[in-house]
Amino acid sequence: MTDRPDDPRESVPWTEWDTPRERWLMTEQDAYSWPRSLLLEVIARVLFPTVLVFSVYLLLAGHNNAGGGFSGGLVAALAFVLRYVAGGSAELAMMVRVRPPVVIGSGLAIAVLTALAPVVFGDPVLASGIWKLQLPVLGELKITSNLLLDLGVYLLIIGVVVDLLRTIGAGTEVGGPGVDDEQLEEERG
Amino acid sequence: MLVAILAHFALAAVLPLVARRYGRAAFVVGALAPAATLVYALARGGEAVSGAPPLETLAWAPVIGLEFTARFDELALLLILLVSGIGAVVLCYYSRYAKPDDHRTAARDSALLVTFAGAMLGLVLADDVISLYLFWELTTVCSFLLVGGDGVAKRLRTSATQALLVTTLGGLAMLLGLILLGTAAGTMRISEILADPPSGGIVTAALLLVLLGALTKSAQVPFHPWLPSAMVAPTPVSAYLHAAAMVKAGVYLVARFSPAFADHPAWWIPIVVCGLWTMLLGGFRALRQYDLKTLLAYGTISQLGFLMVMLGAGTWMSALAAGTLILAHGLFKSALFLTVGIIDKRAGTRDIRELSGLGRQWRGLTTLATFALMSMAGLPPLLGFIGKEVALEALFEGGTVDRLIGVGVAVGSVLTVVYSLRFLRGAFGTKPDMAPSAPVPCGRVMTGMVAVPSLAGLVLALAPSVIEPVETGYADRYGKDPGYHLALWHGITPALMISVGIIAAGVAVHRYAGVQRLGGYVPGPLRAQSWYGRSVEGLESLARGVTGRLQVGSLPVYLGVILTTLVVVPGAGLFSGDIDFGELRLFDNWLQVPLALLVLVAAATSLLARRRLTAVLLAGVVGYGIGAWFVVDGGADLALAQFLVETLTLVVFVFVIRRFPPRFIENKAYVGGRWVKAVIAGVAGTFVAVLAVLYSGYRGGIPEASRQYIERAEDETGATNVVNAIIVDFRAFDTIGEITVLAVAATGVASLILARSRRRNGTVGRPEPTEQDATDDTGTTETPEVRS
Amino acid sequence: MTINITMAVTLAGLYSVGFYLLMQRSLMRVILGIVILGHGANLFLQVAGGPPGEPTFVGSAVLEAMVDPLPQALALTAIVITFALTTFLLALAYRSWALLGHDEVQDDVEDRRIARAEQAARKVEDEGPESERVAGFEAPEAPESRPGEDDEEARIR
Repeated sequence: MTDRPDDPRESVPWTEWDTPRERWLMTEQDAYSWPRSLLLEVIARVLFPTVLVFSVYLLLAGHNNAGGGFSGGLVAALAFVLRYVAGGSAELAMMVRVRPPVVIGSGLAIAVLTALAPVVFGDPVLASGIWKLQLPVLGELKITSNLLLDLGVYLLIIGVVVDLLRTIGAGTEVGGPGVDDEQLEEERG
Repeated sequence: MLVAILAHFALAAVLPLVARRYGRAAFVVGALAPAATLVYALARGGEAVSGAPPLETLAWAPVIGLEFTARFDELALLLILLVSGIGAVVLCYYSRYAKPDDHRTAARDSALLVTFAGAMLGLVLADDVISLYLFWELTTVCSFLLVGGDGVAKRLRTSATQALLVTTLGGLAMLLGLILLGTAAGTMRISEILADPPSGGIVTAALLLVLLGALTKSAQVPFHPWLPSAMVAPTPVSAYLHAAAMVKAGVYLVARFSPAFADHPAWWIPIVVCGLWTMLLGGFRALRQYDLKTLLAYGTISQLGFLMVMLGAGTWMSALAAGTLILAHGLFKSALFLTVGIIDKRAGTRDIRELSGLGRQWRGLTTLATFALMSMAGLPPLLGFIGKEVALEALFEGGTVDRLIGVGVAVGSVLTVVYSLRFLRGAFGTKPDMAPSAPVPCGRVMTGMVAVPSLAGLVLALAPSVIEPVETGYADRYGKDPGYHLALWHGITPALMISVGIIAAGVAVHRYAGVQRLGGYVPGPLRAQSWYGRSVEGLESLARGVTGRLQVGSLPVYLGVILTTLVVVPGAGLFSGDIDFGELRLFDNWLQVPLALLVLVAAATSLLARRRLTAVLLAGVVGYGIGAWFVVDGGADLALAQFLVETLTLVVFVFVIRRFPPRFIENKAYVGGRWVKAVIAGVAGTFVAVLAVLYSGYRGGIPEASRQYIERAEDETGATNVVNAIIVDFRAFDTIGEITVLAVAATGVASLILARSRRRNGTVGRPEPTEQDATDDTGTTETPEVRS
Repeated sequence: MTINITMAVTLAGLYSVGFYLLMQRSLMRVILGIVILGHGANLFLQVAGGPPGEPTFVGSAVLEAMVDPLPQALALTAIVITFALTTFLLALAYRSWALLGHDEVQDDVEDRRIARAEQAARKVEDEGPESERVAGFEAPEAPESRPGEDDEEARIR
């Protein structure tokens, strides 16, 4: 009766269907000295998707209103920053699925490819193209090639800031990989 | 002709590879280029001596009118005979002179000699001023490298440096002079400048500068010491550079410009004075030399002085003499240098105090060398005699000034005879109280190479009509042909009498050793070499003193100096003119005033804050204030970016500040300069604001570029947000650069933060890029934090 | 048309503060100086944009009333690049602290030291025997000989 068809291990009683499987919040103090505020942590997680959607909106709306790749990327990056400030490097490790350098590289690659692609068609470098599509419900949609450049910028900025979080943020923590305090005490005497 | 020049350079690029395989055979390969050029030049010689010399143009920057033009006229042909002819001979000679197993020297010298030949070719063919300078300096560089050799011995380096410094000084002066001349004439083409020479004060200065270049290159007094110093180079190099080609460049320059400027006092007076002085001094110094090569070097200096004098005299006959003597000198001097090379190689020494009896052993070489010496001394039936006859005829048939010059030339010629005899006796004579040297074979190929120029001097003298068209063609630029022909016998003319007198006097002087003993000694303080030494030393100590004083190594001092200069130099220029501030308003939008107050107060407090966090947060307030300013000013995208970036900057600052002590360290030792810094900063800031006010006054409405951007944004990019259109479309290239900078900064930050610090006992605690879980002595496990 | 006094005063203030901070010893202060100078420079760029006006969206206002978009685009680039520079400098400051225990900008006394050392070496050399450093390759020349003495010149005649 209560067997969940996609859970091959064992039958879970219905009272425990909605217990989170992954570690959603740290239940105990981990081995890092990060002052925690539970309220901030939870709110940051709740707001995170909204802010990301807003950043995508900024990216797409940049063409006709204020916004653009830079603003969108920075807003998304700030969302990551907020979660890190709330939860520390463990939070960082959880929320970052793709390695930041890969994101940086892909952003740069998209931008450069967008720049070089017109050469294939005989146009000069960075020539732009405007396409108009007719969609059934939404009406006419205008897409320009510099949206791809904006996308590359967006990805790159996110990657750079998350990388900065990893290095300056987590790397400089006490006990982090940046410097070894004991070693330093030893050297400085 | 352009192809010929390029072929030289291309061959020179290939020669090191050939030399690495085949050693000194590379020289023979290298000789192909000059030889082919010689043949080609002779084949087209008819065109050159006709009235319309062939022109070839290569436009290398047509938009600004820069092009390389090669003009193949008689003077060029004359010098190509020397440059390419002697070049081929010297290269073949070098293939025997060089050590068989020394591939590196062969590679270097062969490539450099062929490059040099190509550069000289370009020099004599160049018809525009810039190319002339380019090839001139290329020859300087090649000579530096050739004289310097492998640069190990100190005297190689000092000699090469001296040659470089002196000739480059002249080269730069020449460039300035040529450019002044070109601007005064309105064209950069030499043939056009000469056809219609300009006049004026600028031209005087220009001519003096050009002469400086020619005098340094041709080792005239007082720039002559580099040539005897450069005798440290291998003999074939000296034979080519310092006899036939490079020193002729200065003479070529004078010869090229003389037809137009011969009457200009700023031209002929320095030439004649320096030339005469050089001729006498060179001969004088040559009388005391024991080293054959240095003797020839001073002799070259003297002969070049002679050539300069003839060119400076500026008549048809003197030009004919100069042309003939250029050719004759190139031939005999290179033959003599090559002879010295053979003596050096086979007999082991160049010192005339140690040589004896070579004349009896090497009869062939002695005969050839004697021909060359007779040409140098001006004895019939050699080319030198013909040239000297013309010279004496030109000078003693002219006015008073010419006759005075003639007297000087005659004395110089006497000295020439004396040192020629010194060479002959010293190198080949049998000294009475010295045992003759052990018999050694004389290299056949090398002797054959000596024979070429030496016999050429003889052959051309016996049949002067071969080169007469070239010489008279050149002389025709100076005036009309008085019907003179080059010949060995003109009848009993005054010039012939004078020649006989010169020879007799020379022989007498040589017999009487007393004159030789007294002569030739120049007192120490007057020696030009010591002037050079002292000026170089003085320059070095000046540099040391200035560097020690100015480079204090302190960042605040440097910045202070920069800021002070920023205020003083443009400020002085600005306030010396009249400046008009226009009407000034207090604000354009009332919101600007509180924002300005906020920004200024926050900046000032950030300056004075003692705690790090306070300073950082106040700087953040400044940033937000500026962002609000952007909103007021009408930049929506900009304000958005500013707010976001400012937040990120604050975050990054705080991350780093966590580890620092909470307060700034006030070091009492540095407090003293605080007021000075404050004053400098305040004045510089005010100056910037003044500049801003002044610059803004020149703006009138939206400039054209922005207007176009606004008008075209919608059609070309499909965007109505013009700022965004500019960033991602019109100036997308800048954006790509900008994101690259971001990526690079992120990489740099990772390297700086994550690198482990070094331990004092030597092991480096750098994270290994593998998955190994190495534990170091402190007991922590290394996390593989590696940049992908 | 010229900018207003408020803007000029703000520029003067920002630049002065920035320059003063730049000349400090502590690297953190220098970085703050760079940040403030960056703000001042962005403000200066707006000088080229003319007086305040409408934001440049096509169709929202008349072209004459719009503010110049080009300096804004350039300033945007400048803001991002200043950010990159600031993070790098902060990493430098951190590394300096980690290695040396402080973040002060030290004097580079190497040039002064070399000048003093060379001065001392020259003095020693000048007092020593005449060295060859000046000469190129001077050929051996015949020395002055007194009359009557057997000289080499006679031999090689």
